[in-house]
Amino acid sequence: MNPTAPRALIAEDEPVLAQALAQALARLWPALQVAASVTNGVAAVEQTLALQPDVLFLDIRMPGRSGLEAAELLAEDWPDGQPFPLVVFVTAYDDYALQAFDQSAADYVLKPVSDARLAKTVARLQARLAQPAARGDALEQVLGQLRALAPAPAGGAPRLTVIRAAVGNQVRLIRVSDVIYFEATDKYVNVVTADSESLIRMSLRELQDQLDPAQFWQIHRGTVVAIDQVSAAVRDDSGRLRLTLRGRSETLPVSRVFAHLFKQM
Amino acid sequence: MRNATSALMNARPGRGRRMLLRLAIATGFNLACALTITYLIHMGGSFIENLVFSLCIGTLAWLFIDGGRMLVWGEDKPAGLPFLVMTVLALLLAQMGGTALAAWLLGMPAHPVLPTESSHAASILLFSVLAGLSATWFFWNRGKLAFLQAQAEAEKARVAEIEKQAMQAQLQMLQAQIEPHMLFNTLANLQGLIASDPPRAQLLLEQLIAWLRATLKSSRAAATTLAEEFNLMDAYLGLMAIRMGERLAYRLDLPAPLAGVRIAPMLLQPLLENAIRHGLEPKIDGGRLDVSAAREGACLVLTVRDTGLGLDAPASHGTGLGLENIRERLRALYGAGASLTLANGAPCGTVATITIPLP
Repeated sequence: MNPTAPRALIAEDEPVLAQALAQALARLWPALQVAASVTNGVAAVEQTLALQPDVLFLDIRMPGRSGLEAAELLAEDWPDGQPFPLVVFVTAYDDYALQAFDQSAADYVLKPVSDARLAKTVARLQARLAQPAARGDALEQVLGQLRALAPAPAGGAPRLTVIRAAVGNQVRLIRVSDVIYFEATDKYVNVVTADSESLIRMSLRELQDQLDPAQFWQIHRGTVVAIDQVSAAVRDDSGRLRLTLRGRSETLPVSRVFAHLFKQM
Repeated sequence: MRNATSALMNARPGRGRRMLLRLAIATGFNLACALTITYLIHMGGSFIENLVFSLCIGTLAWLFIDGGRMLVWGEDKPAGLPFLVMTVLALLLAQMGGTALAAWLLGMPAHPVLPTESSHAASILLFSVLAGLSATWFFWNRGKLAFLQAQAEAEKARVAEIEKQAMQAQLQMLQAQIEPHMLFNTLANLQGLIASDPPRAQLLLEQLIAWLRATLKSSRAAATTLAEEFNLMDAYLGLMAIRMGERLAYRLDLPAPLAGVRIAPMLLQPLLENAIRHGLEPKIDGGRLDVSAAREGACLVLTVRDTGLGLDAPASHGTGLGLENIRERLRALYGAGASLTLANGAPCGTVATITIPLP
C-alpha cells in the first residue's frame, strides 16, 4: 500500500451506484484508494472526520443528512491545520441544485455518471492534489459554495409579529421584537427572550422564512439571533468565533459558514 | 353536489320567464275551455262572454296556484297533499273572484256563484274545478319532468366532476412518479448493473418496463382491478428494492377472492410512494413496507403500512395535496362511506388506510 496514494470516501445511499462509482474511479484513476463507502449523511460526516480522505464524493439526496448538510457540518467541525477534502457533489436530475452548482463553481457529477464527465473531474482533482498550496483553499472554497447554495428565504410568507408557544396548558404570546435568539433542538425551536424560554414545534428554516432578515441573522445551522442584541464577536481559544449578547452571560457559536458576516468593516 | 344542482337551476331561464311561459300555457288552456263551453257542451252564452269568464277564472286560478307554490315551496318540488289542498282552495277562490270580475267587466248583474242558487251555476263550478284540476295535473307532470331533467343533469355534472378529479390525479401521479429524479436514479442503477451484473440489469430493465407500462396504462383507465393495481405496485417496489438494496423489504398481500374487485386507479399508488419517499428513503436503516387488501364486513379495506420515519417527521417538500386529492376522489366516487385515514404505526412508521364500501 502506497502511503502517499490519494484516498477517497464515497457517500451514496444506493449500493449499486456506490459500487459503479468505485469501479469507474478504479478505471479512470487507478492510484486512488477508496478508503470507505458509506450509505448515509451521518456516517459520511463521521467517517470523513475519522479518515480525513483527500477526495469526498457526496450524494446530495441521502438519508440522515443531505450531502449539502454533511458538507456544512464538516466545514464547521473540520480540525484546523488539516487540509479539507476536495468535495465532488453527486446528484441525479435536480434542476434547482444544478444551477446553484454552476454559479458557485462547485464540482459535481450527474447520475448516471458518464466516464467522459468523470474523467474531466478526475483530471481537475489530480491537478489540485498535485499543488499542495491549492489545498489550503479547499475549505474556503467549500464555504463559499455552501453560502451560494443555501436556499434563499422563501419570501412572500407573512412576517410574524407574535409567536404562540404552548407552555403547559396555556399558550404564551411572545412578541418577536422581544426575542433574543432562536435555537434549534431536535424537533423544536427554543425561543429565548430576556425572561423566558419556550419551545415551539416548527423547523428553524420554516420560522426564518417569516422573520425580517435584516433583524434576524442566521449565525449557525441551528441558531438565528436578533442582531441588535449582539454586543461583540470574539475569537475563543480554539480560534472559533462566538457572539456575546447584551445583558446575558451565555455566548453563541458562529459557524465557519457564517463567520464572514462578522468581519470588521 | 348541491352546488352543481343550484348552478344548473341558475343556468336555466330566469324565474320570471318561466312564470310567463306557464301563464301563456294557462291562457291557451283558458281559450280551449271557452271553446268547449260554447261549442261542445253548449252551456249557454256567447263565445266572447265565455272567453272572458274563462280567462278571468283561469288566470286567477293560475295566479293563486303558481303564486302560492312559489311563495311556499319556491323552486323546490311541492309536497303532494298540501299542494292538492291548496289547489282546491285556490280553484274555489278563483271561481268566485273570476266570476265576479268577469261579470263586472261585461256589465252583467253579479253572477250566482254558489251551486245552491241554480243548477247552471253548479255545472259551471263543476266544469271550472275539473278544468282547474286537469290544468294543475298537466303543470304538475311538466314540473316533474323538469325536475327529473335537472336531476339527470346534476348527475351528469357529478360524473364530470369525478372525471376532472381523476384527470388531475393522473397528472399529479405522472408528475410524481415519472419524476426526473426517480427516472435518472433508476437509469444510473441500470448503467451500473450492466457492467457488473448483467442478469440483474436485465431484471431491473424488465421491472422498469413493467412499471412504465402499468403506470401509463392505469393513468388512462377509468377503473382497474385490485390485481392490476397490485402488479403495478409490485413493479414499482421491485425497482425500489434494487435501488435501496437491504434498506427496503416489502410484502404485498392480495387475497385471491379480492383480485377481481374493481377499483379506481391511482388510489393506492400515491400512498405507496409517500411511504417510500417520506417514510423509508430518508430513514438511515430503511425498513419494511406491507400493502394488504381485506374484506371487513361490507367494506374493502386497503392498508399501506411502513416502518419509516412516521407522521411526526419534519415534512420534506410534501404539501398534502396528493392526500387531499385521494380524499376528494373517494368522496366523489364512493360517497361518504369511503375514507382515507393516516395514523402513526406502532412502534414506528405510518399506517395509511383506505376504506371503500363494497357494492
